Amino acid sequence: MNALEFRETGQGKVGGPLLLLLALTAGCTSTTVDEFRQGDTGIESHESVVILGRRQAGNRETSSDFVECVGDRLAQGMDGLSVVPEQEFLDAMFPWFEPRTAPLQPEHLGRLMVEEQVALTMRDFGVRYIIWVDGFTETLNRVGSISCTVAPGGAGCFGYGSWEDDASFNAEIWDVENYNGVGQISTDATGQSFMPAIVIPIPLIARVEANACQRLGDQLKSFVIGG
Amino acid sequence: MANIVKTVCRILLPALLLSACGASSVVISGSFPTPNIGKLPLSLAVVYDDTLEEFTYTEYSETGQEEYHIQSGQSHIELFNAILPAMFDQVVRVDAVEEGAGAGVDAIFVPNIEEFQLALPAKTRLDVYEVWIKYNMRLLTAEGDYLADWVLTSYGKTPTETFVSTETAINAAAIVALRDLASTFALSFAQVPEISDWLASR
Repeated sequence: MNALEFRETGQGKVGGPLLLLLALTAGCTSTTVDEFRQGDTGIESHESVVILGRRQAGNRETSSDFVECVGDRLAQGMDGLSVVPEQEFLDAMFPWFEPRTAPLQPEHLGRLMVEEQVALTMRDFGVRYIIWVDGFTETLNRVGSISCTVAPGGAGCFGYGSWEDDASFNAEIWDVENYNGVGQISTDATGQSFMPAIVIPIPLIARVEANACQRLGDQLKSFVIGG
Repeated sequence: MANIVKTVCRILLPALLLSACGASSVVISGSFPTPNIGKLPLSLAVVYDDTLEEFTYTEYSETGQEEYHIQSGQSHIELFNAILPAMFDQVVRVDAVEEGAGAGVDAIFVPNIEEFQLALPAKTRLDVYEVWIKYNMRLLTAEGDYLADWVLTSYGKTPTETFVSTETAINAAAIVALRDLASTFALSFAQVPEISDWLASR
C-alpha cells in the first residue's frame, strides 16, 4: 500500500530514473588480474591439472564451489585442459593433501614424491600442474533496510538495500615434473549490489565471485598452455 | 471414547510442545577414504570400548539449555575400520583387551575420545562451524602390557552457508575433523617414540 502512495505523490518521477540508474550500474563488477611468471609452462594432451583450495587459515577457507568453478572454466572450450576433480584427487591422495599435511611450498613436493604411493597416484592421474587457490569473498558496507507488510488486502515490501562484495583470490601454479613454482595469478573483483523494493524486492546483484572465477580461469588456462 | 481422546491429548499435546523446544540430535555420518600409504608388517587387534562406541557430546546454549546431542561414536568406528586395514597387514576386532592374547596378534590398539568441543557461529561470531576433538590412543602388547599411550587432536571446520542447517554444518565440520584424525594418525603412528622404539626392536 505504501508503495502505491509513493508513486501517487509524484516521487515516482524520481523513482523511475533512479531505478534505471540502478539497473544500469548494478552488475557492474570491476575485476583486476595480476600475473607473475617464474618459469616456462606447457602441457601435453595426456597431462592434466588439479586445482586445490587452501584450507589452512583459521576463520575462513577457500570455497570448494569456487575451486570447481575455476576447474570448469579451465576445462571449457576447444583448448580446454584435462582437470582432475578436487575431491577425487584428495580422496585418492589421502592423507597427503589434507589441510594439516598438504605441502606448503613447491620444494616440499620432492619429499612427497619419494613416497611410492603418492608418485604412482600422481602418475595415474597424469598431473603436470597443481594449482593452489587461496581466497574468499566478503560482503562489506551493507546499508539500507527493507520492510515487508502483509495485510488482508495484500502484501508488499518497501525500502532499499545495498552492499559491496569483494572477491580476492590468489592462484599458485606448481610444476609437478620439476618440483618448482612456475607462477602466481591473483584476481580481485569488487561490485556493488542493490535491492530496491517497491511492492516486490528487485535484486540487482553484482556477480563478483562469478567474474573472479571467469577471469582467473581464463588467465590460468592461457598461463598453463604456455609461453 | 471421550476419555481416551482426553488421555491421548493430555499425553500427546505436552509431548509435542516439549519436542519443539528439545535439543536436536545429530548423528555424525560420512564416508572416509582409504589411506594411500604403505602397510606396516604388523597384525593388530582393535578394541572399541563402550565409551567410544556410545560417545555423545552435548552442546549447551548460553542459558544452560541442552541444544545439540552429537553422536559420533559409530562414525569413529567406521573411520578406524577404514584406515586400520590400510595401515597394517592384519586387523581383527576384539571385544576386550583380554581377548587379544588369544587372537595371535602383535599388538592391541585401544582408541578413546577424551574431549569434544564445538564452536557455533552464533556464539563465536565467526562465519565457520568448528569441531575440535582430543583423543587418547593406547597400544598394548598381545598380553595387554603397556607399549605406548599418546594424545592426538583433530580439528575440522566448515563455512556458514545460506539454506544449510546447523545440524548439516555440524556434521560437515565433524567429518573434516575425522579426516584430520585419520591423516594425523596414519602419518604419525610409526613416529610415536615408544612405537618407533618397539618397531625397531622387532
